[in-house]
Amino acid sequence: MATVAVPQLSGYHRPAVLDWIMTVDHKRLGILYLYFTLFFFAVGGILALLVRTQLAVADNSFVGNDAYNQIFTMHASAMLFLFIIPVWAGFGNYLVPLQIGAADMAFPRINALSFWMLPPAGILMFAGFIVDGGAADGGWTAYSPLAQQTGVGMDMWIIAVIVLGMSSTIGAANFLVTMFRMRAPGMTMFRMPIFCWTMLVTALLQLLATPVLAAALVMLFIDRNYGGQFFDPNGGGNVVLWQNVFWFYSHPAVYIMILPGMGIISEILPVFSRKPLFGYKAFVFATIGIGGLGFSVWAHHMFTTGSVLLPFFGFMTFMIGVPTGVKIFNWLGTLWGGSISFPTPMLFAIGFVSMFLIGGINGTYSAAVPVDFALHDTYFVVAHIHYVLFGGSVFAVFGGLYYWFPKIWGRQLNERLGKLHFALMFVGFNVAFFPMHMLGLDGMPRRIAVYADSAGWEALNMLSTGGAFLIAVSMIPFLIAVVMAFMRPKDQPDDPWEANTLEWATTSPPPDYNFDSLPPVRSERPLFDARHGDEEQGH
Amino acid sequence: MAAHGTAERQGMTNSMLGFILFLASEVMFFGGLFAAYFIARADAPAWPPPLTPEQIAEGVHLELEVLLPAISTGILVLSSITMQYAVWQIQKGNQGGMLWGLFISLALGIVFLAAQLYDYTQLHFRADDTIYGTTFYTLTGFHGAHVAGGALFIAVVTVRALGGQFTAENHEAVEASSMYWHFVDVVWIALFTVLYIIK
Amino acid sequence: MLGMPLSRRLRLISATVAAALLALMATATASAIQPGGITDEARKMNDLFWIVTIAGLVVFVLVGAALVYAMIRYRRQGDELPPQFHGGGKIEVAMVGVPVLIVIALFTISMITLVDIDDPAEEDALTVEITGFQFSWQFSYSMADLGTNTDPNADPEDRINIIGTLQPIDTPDDEIRPVLYLPVDEEVEFILISNDVIHSFYVKDFLYKLDLIPGRVNSFAVTPRVTGDYSAQCAELCGTNHALMRFIVRVVERDEFDAWVAAEAARQLGDDALVSSPGTQGD
Ligand code: HEA
Ligand code: HEA
Ligand code: CUA
Ligand SMILES: [Cu+2]
Repeated sequence: MATVAVPQLSGYHRPAVLDWIMTVDHKRLGILYLYFTLFFFAVGGILALLVRTQLAVADNSFVGNDAYNQIFTMHASAMLFLFIIPVWAGFGNYLVPLQIGAADMAFPRINALSFWMLPPAGILMFAGFIVDGGAADGGWTAYSPLAQQTGVGMDMWIIAVIVLGMSSTIGAANFLVTMFRMRAPGMTMFRMPIFCWTMLVTALLQLLATPVLAAALVMLFIDRNYGGQFFDPNGGGNVVLWQNVFWFYSHPAVYIMILPGMGIISEILPVFSRKPLFGYKAFVFATIGIGGLGFSVWAHHMFTTGSVLLPFFGFMTFMIGVPTGVKIFNWLGTLWGGSISFPTPMLFAIGFVSMFLIGGINGTYSAAVPVDFALHDTYFVVAHIHYVLFGGSVFAVFGGLYYWFPKIWGRQLNERLGKLHFALMFVGFNVAFFPMHMLGLDGMPRRIAVYADSAGWEALNMLSTGGAFLIAVSMIPFLIAVVMAFMRPKDQPDDPWEANTLEWATTSPPPDYNFDSLPPVRSERPLFDARHGDEEQGH
Repeated sequence: MAAHGTAERQGMTNSMLGFILFLASEVMFFGGLFAAYFIARADAPAWPPPLTPEQIAEGVHLELEVLLPAISTGILVLSSITMQYAVWQIQKGNQGGMLWGLFISLALGIVFLAAQLYDYTQLHFRADDTIYGTTFYTLTGFHGAHVAGGALFIAVVTVRALGGQFTAENHEAVEASSMYWHFVDVVWIALFTVLYIIK
Repeated sequence: MLGMPLSRRLRLISATVAAALLALMATATASAIQPGGITDEARKMNDLFWIVTIAGLVVFVLVGAALVYAMIRYRRQGDELPPQFHGGGKIEVAMVGVPVLIVIALFTISMITLVDIDDPAEEDALTVEITGFQFSWQFSYSMADLGTNTDPNADPEDRINIIGTLQPIDTPDDEIRPVLYLPVDEEVEFILISNDVIHSFYVKDFLYKLDLIPGRVNSFAVTPRVTGDYSAQCAELCGTNHALMRFIVRVVERDEFDAWVAAEAARQLGDDALVSSPGTQGD
């Protein structure tokens, strides 16, 4: 690699902070994304603890009804818009160029722009708490006309979400161009690491779905501030219109929130099974299939509005279980006949498979339309949300952090603490969210600040709250492991895990320009080939 | 040179591909607005929706004159052609021809915007007069904003063209601005058909 | 299995035990969470719920068992590389085929149930107009409708209304909730209306909910089969006191219902003729 001559002003060094702020390097931006999103995971988590504290006992008045609505709305907004969606951009930024053997993203400066749109949006959204009328409180779904009634916090929320959406739209275009055009020689599309494929499909979904959300939010803003009548039946508008446009984005968005996580565990499982991913192409097509089908199921969130073509949306919703099932079988097939070891990343990956399985199956309950009539807007759905988003996405986030930590920071996270973290989190998660299935079937609606003693929901709620605090406790070993790691020198070899993909072919952490030289790419596992020679490929 | 993939592949450049993807997202944005319009219109018992007595007393009526917008449509279509002319000229290396094309397109774009603003002053309803007013102003307003953006884009390209920055081989910005302009034009034709023609 | 070394056999046994435990746990939970239901429609939905549950459990147990088995059976033993297979035709077809079959079966059954429960109400069914508002309910019965069963002389223009009020948070609220009276074993149709924001009419023991949407009129019909009090509440976030939009559905025998109608009519319409009409007794 020819070194680029950087003009040096003698005697002047930019302060390190400024270096980070001005950076257009995909790795640094990736790290910034990770810090930013993990911060909002903590914020969202603390809001969740407030929710759980309020719900721990019947007739509780720990937070008022007004505050409660703001708290759970901002919990979900932080978790979805400021944590889980951008966290994939963080992993993607760091990893996609490395995994395809490129020196950077296609548009480094636009990349920096996508990142720097996030902090102002996050601040704007949370500044709602200090303005008159409080933060947005219409749920993350902001159903109209309720969303017309609240204070300026709602306008701030709308603008923030539009900005976040713009960030992810231009970020998506950047990822797509990077993957279409910047791949190393030999890296055909069907040799791209699975994580890249999932980022590719995610980026397509973002590119096509997010602008529709922007359109919806613009309409809501016009209704709120300029007397618009989009969602006002008195002026000929249509209340359900909001839901249609919102879910047209937000259902594909749930796959935006999970696909890269699936990609991450599809990197981890083969490495620690010491086998290739079972059915690579099937996995790719299943990912594309989920992306495509994802655009045809939005109205399954609206079965109880009485204005939905029930058979069509019921059928498509069931069908989406098929490509997802393919992936579950891919993962099983990968483990099958392998030589499996269980370091922390692998534990999180297996946690993902098992918990997402539950989340997928309980989502399928709602595909059976008459069953959804009972379950809709109850805690059963809250259980579903968290089994897919926490049991799925969040487990993948931590799996990915443990797995790539040596690459990104050059240090290893302590294994014992990691295992403790996993164990506590796994148990806490199930204690927190499994009882919600029962609560839902017992008729507890979601989004209620208080419930009557006579309802008989207290015991399970208390249990769930206990689980939530256990999740919080599980973060302690993680944080200790992080601090301990940073106290040690960077001692990690290029490839501590005997991994398969190109990011492990360079130093840990990689140099600015990523690679000194690349191994030849003749399959989707170039490093495996380099270690074992091509003859063991055994197609 | 590096052994790895910073080198761009053949065919269009990265920026062009990125720009096309950006346009795709714009299409989806307008798609969302159009979808809202169609759903609202299909669901409304009458179109235009009935007015309240107070609105009628205030002199509101929901009607659109077709003549001026029809002329505007012609202007915009014409500007699309002149824009394409500019691209063809620079492809042949004719900077002068391109400049003419750019100038005329820009001028026509500004005329279109002025006509639209004038048209707004002639209407007897506002954005808060039923879903009809809301959708009309939202759709045409966002389109207008995109025309303004496109005109600005062309203006920047024109300035660069005056500086002689484009050649037969290197004129990506011209192509991009013309694509954007065609996009804006197509959206308008759809808007004109839906809002003014289909009664 | 007998031919294999002890350690491997142990592992297989523990995997089987784990799978069995998993199955047991899942069934236990499933039976603990059965939703029940008190209307004809709810019973059909309950059956569907069970079918979905069984299908879900089968999938969960099979996949879960395979996962646990693989984790135990294929633990890393040494440095030798396992066979590197990438997957192949037949298994991949099965991967798609089997779920497609399950899914089509489940879909068909749920559509049958849907058609079953969705049939329109009989002409002469009792009709109750339900209005949701921030933050309570109004239940409105028309005398024209009630009259056919209660008093042929009732003025068809008259309605009796039960209007709830917002209840203070910290009260034991069972008494203050608005009560929706329904006669047992008779079909009743609900007309759902809202003039402010979206609410949702949710009676847990109907296993059903339907939204009240401004600008729309929704309706559905059920036939309650079991008398008793059932607590119910709004299921769509509708503002500050959404949690307090509670109500009670009281399913009673016909004569008790008539008595209630008579008393309410007398109270609201000042028409005590009804109180003394045959077959009703004030309580
Ligand atoms: C990561 C996010 C994520 C993911 C991946 C999913 C995945 C799915 N979701 Fe979920 N969903 C949410 C996030 C997500 N969801 C959220 C946030 C909400 C609530 C929004 C709100 O109101 O606030 C929601 C709500 C929601 C509803 C509305 C519920 C209601 O409000 O009434 C429905 C209804 O159908 C649904 C269905 C599904 C289905 C069928 C899948 C499928 O993709 C699952 C497929 C997976 C499997 C089925 C398991 C593996 C498959 C096999 C092993 C094969 C064999 C299986 C069969 C044959 C069944 N989801
Ligand atoms: C990614 C998405 C995500 C995640 C991770 C979570 C995580 C959690 N959620 Fe949330 N939730 C949603 C998405 C998510 N949720 C959505 C979309 C809704 C619907 C909202 C709506 O109705 O509009 C919802 C709603 C929701 C409700 C229902 C509210 C209601 O309807 O009234 C509840 C109730 O218990 C709940 C609880 C929790 C809990 C206890 C956690 C816990 O798992 C949180 C655990 C995390 C922590 C405790 C953080 C601890 C960390 C630190 C203290 C510092 C560590 C620092 C670093 C890592 C840097 N959530
Ligand atoms: Cu009414 Cu919630
Ligand atoms: Cu969905």
